[in-house]
Amino acid sequence: MSSCSCQITRRGFVMGCSAAIAALSGSRFNSLAFASPDGSNNETLVVLFLRGGQDGLNVVVPSGGNDRGFYQSLRPGLQVPVASVQPYNLGSVVGPNGQTAFGLHPAAAPLYPLFQDGKLAVIQAVGMSANERSHFDSMNWMELGTPGVSNTSSGWLTRHLQTAGNLPSGILVPSLAVGGLQPLSQLGSDETINMGSPGDFSLDIGPWRYRDLQRVTLRNLYESDTSWLHQAGLQALDAVDIIELYASGGYTPRPGVSYPDTWFGQNLQTIAQLVKLDVGLRVATVDLGGWDTHENQGNGSGGYFSGLLGELCGGLAALYEDLDEGSPPHTSKLTVVVMSEFGRRAYENSAQGCDHGHGNNMFVLSGNAIGGLHGSWPGLAQGQLNEGDLEVTTDFRRVLSEILIRRLGNPALSAIFPGYSGYSPLGVVQGPDLPVDAQPIFSDGFESGDLSAWSTVVG
Amino acid sequence: MRGPNPSHPIPSLAIQPAARAGRGLFGAFSNKLAPGYRAPSGMRRPDRPQPEPGTSPAVTLPPLAVVALNRIAFGPRPGDIEAFQALGGNDDARLTAYVDQQLNPASITDTDCNGRITASQYQTLGKSLTQLFQDHHLAEPQDWEVRIQPALETELATWTRAVYSKRQLFESMVHFWHNHFSAYAYEFIEGPLWAHYDRDVMRANALGNFRTLLEAVTRSPAMLMYLDNFLNFADGGLGYSNENFAREQMELHCLGAVVSYGNTPRANVPVDGNGVPLGYCEDDVKDLARCLTGWTFDIDWIWQQPGTTGQPVYRNDLHSTEAKILLGTPIPAGGTALGDGQAALDVLAQHPATGRFIARKLCRRFIGDFPPAAIVDSAAALFTSLWQAPDQIKQVMRHILLSNEFKTTWGEKIKRPFEIVVSSLRATNAEMRFYYQIPFPADWNTWHPDMQDTSSLHWLFEKGNQVIFGWHPPNGHPDVRGAWQASSPRVALWRLSSWLVDQQQASGVWRLNVIGQTPIGVRTANEIVDFWVGRVFARSIPVADREQFVDFMAAGHNPDFDLPLDTDEATQDRLRSLVAVMLMSPEFLWR
Repeated sequence: MSSCSCQITRRGFVMGCSAAIAALSGSRFNSLAFASPDGSNNETLVVLFLRGGQDGLNVVVPSGGNDRGFYQSLRPGLQVPVASVQPYNLGSVVGPNGQTAFGLHPAAAPLYPLFQDGKLAVIQAVGMSANERSHFDSMNWMELGTPGVSNTSSGWLTRHLQTAGNLPSGILVPSLAVGGLQPLSQLGSDETINMGSPGDFSLDIGPWRYRDLQRVTLRNLYESDTSWLHQAGLQALDAVDIIELYASGGYTPRPGVSYPDTWFGQNLQTIAQLVKLDVGLRVATVDLGGWDTHENQGNGSGGYFSGLLGELCGGLAALYEDLDEGSPPHTSKLTVVVMSEFGRRAYENSAQGCDHGHGNNMFVLSGNAIGGLHGSWPGLAQGQLNEGDLEVTTDFRRVLSEILIRRLGNPALSAIFPGYSGYSPLGVVQGPDLPVDAQPIFSDGFESGDLSAWSTVVG
Repeated sequence: MRGPNPSHPIPSLAIQPAARAGRGLFGAFSNKLAPGYRAPSGMRRPDRPQPEPGTSPAVTLPPLAVVALNRIAFGPRPGDIEAFQALGGNDDARLTAYVDQQLNPASITDTDCNGRITASQYQTLGKSLTQLFQDHHLAEPQDWEVRIQPALETELATWTRAVYSKRQLFESMVHFWHNHFSAYAYEFIEGPLWAHYDRDVMRANALGNFRTLLEAVTRSPAMLMYLDNFLNFADGGLGYSNENFAREQMELHCLGAVVSYGNTPRANVPVDGNGVPLGYCEDDVKDLARCLTGWTFDIDWIWQQPGTTGQPVYRNDLHSTEAKILLGTPIPAGGTALGDGQAALDVLAQHPATGRFIARKLCRRFIGDFPPAAIVDSAAALFTSLWQAPDQIKQVMRHILLSNEFKTTWGEKIKRPFEIVVSSLRATNAEMRFYYQIPFPADWNTWHPDMQDTSSLHWLFEKGNQVIFGWHPPNGHPDVRGAWQASSPRVALWRLSSWLVDQQQASGVWRLNVIGQTPIGVRTANEIVDFWVGRVFARSIPVADREQFVDFMAAGHNPDFDLPLDTDEATQDRLRSLVAVMLMSPEFLWR
């Protein structure tokens, strides 16, 4: 990086830099530039959102104890058989109905070795106390980090990047949204590159003869002014240069690692590729949809849900294995969070599916995980359900806050999750606890309900 | 690390969900989140300008013809500037004549565009609502693309009309209203009915009366399904009630969230000089929902019997007959579903906040991201005063388009992906047929070259994040530049521009006839650049930009020497790439 005469700021792509980047062609960036010699944070957080409301009760399945009995009567047709679950035993917890054993759905088997190895933390009965069974509201609230408020102007990851005081200055791709669109968690983030796959970020298209010259001309055109439009164009051109320089020519995972042959599998490989390239990736988001299983979801022996769960868990295991190399291994600075907008109804419906529910699991997969079952199990007896759904005993922000503090070293919780209070670590990842910043530093007026902040632009 | 090859794309709009969309009341939703479809549903960018890094651009106000054709139309086609100039002796006269022409679309013959629509052999655009419902829903088509054929064909016709119709303002207005009353088309019920939503709701009312349009939207089965009002019944009816639509009608369709007073008690909402509440509170949302209970349609799911027509139905037996108060206006007990609903729509349509909200959005669309208060206020006052006039929207548009603000604003907005592609096709006089053979033949290689191109265009275009009728949340695609500056749409559209000047894969035909359109006498780099600057930008451009184009074309030779454009393939490619880079340039994005 020292050969880059201009300053690369956290924004990542600043006008003029790309000439220097191009001059480096053929060599690699000195990865030390991003390796936090000054003690700054070099962790990567991957947030995987399961859109549609994943049926967590059939992922982490009660396999013994009184709650198994309740589970079976709630789900006479949908239940995952004890025999299918037992090979993937997760241990047991004590809840209101005594000891309850849990095991993984057999389609989640690829994650089981990681669980045994202490790399997978499973947090049960997570969610929002705000009780909304609408996909849109729930997703919005979770990704904005403001339950009950849909019109926050930035996402929680954006606010993390804005408030993190410990990011190295010279990072190229601090934030990545893999897939079709930038999710709400990164709303308002100028530094986020939104990209399906590196192939989408190539200009190698059109008549072949003058592609290189076209690039030069394009850069000159966007350098001819300093306006917001020109700068945005340069940012895109720089992103193209970086992606082409580092990520063209395809990607080969670590030998023996096999990703699902799907969009999701490809998206995960994009993340793995950028992590290995060491371009300063700090935050990445990726989605897997299709969990809205109102009908015919299938039981433990197969079916639609089983196939989708297999894709999810096969992909997650592949990502972890793929990144579990290097010295130190990439996984030592990797944390993957898997979340969904809500769980599904505890009882099955008449269409062999289940409707929108409430509490759900969260998975945290990390080289620094404190593996095992976490959270307070609320039980499945009638009085213990919330309108027929698993109760929420852990606020999702508590889990995310712990990762922010212990792994990413950012304790600015009042900025990242305005309105959230009473944080204490649940113990899902290792790392130092920091004093929580209790000073609200993030408010643009709109969050406070001040209509005048909007009136000039929307009304 | 291989994405699908852009030359062998699957039109993702038509990807069939792996899970059969169900019979459950909300089964249709599972399409939205089907595997393989990367649902953009989490995305909800606030539609408001954001502060940007960087300076204000050094843009120069171009001739009025350029302003008009880039903001009233989707950019000039060859000859459009000249036709505009011939409309009068000065700018004001020309603009007035152009606007009046465009405000009366029926007076504009549209033979060329109509011929192209016919040639594309769309099967569903003329089907009645009931035919659509029966053929594409009740018949349970096996192929997903047959089920949503009305949506796909409406989308293809939308492209065709945007590029080729001479009724450009009409098309812009249809585009605006679709986005204002945004719904997601590629869906289990909405897809089959989409031709109705486009034709009988949007096109029928695009320049007419807002109150009429509002009722057409409210009763349309596509919207009833999309925002759940088809399940909005009196308490104790079928056990459901649903405020989803009522809330969005307040917040997005009429008054705007800016005048939401949230949980403020009704009595505490401030009133204007006429005693009309300045905005709405939760009580109003609830009472609006009650007014609309029983507005549903004849569908098979909820009646436990085959619904055969898909027609709107007003169910008095499921209507809440208690007294309601909407924005201060009492709606007495005992009313019918239709009567109470229509009374509610009257209240909404004449509320001053609705006028301001719609006027501001129109000004933002047709003038700039930061429309001055004076034009918004005057347009809003006109909108409200004319709320019962059959040509209300036409009169308001005339007011906005003939305003000084319209004439003098430039460069506040940038083209969004759709406007980039359409204006590129218009400037280059492209011959593009938007065509799908439905059901899709199994083997891509047997597809008609035009179908291959259409699907490739979709494939490249959707990465720009403005899939037409493909926005999941009800707020519509953002209409402010801040939302469209991210690298992803920029790169996606650059790729699309380069693709446009390339050859059709199957036929080897060049998509744009760039060489053939370059006149015989235009052979030096300077001449070629000036000719194509005239076509692409229709105005003079910054000197530095022109120099870049000349350098590109001259390739180190004297820019006044003739280039072997007629014989040399490399020179021909150079010109094609030049046109592409013009379409990719910042100057092309202003509007």
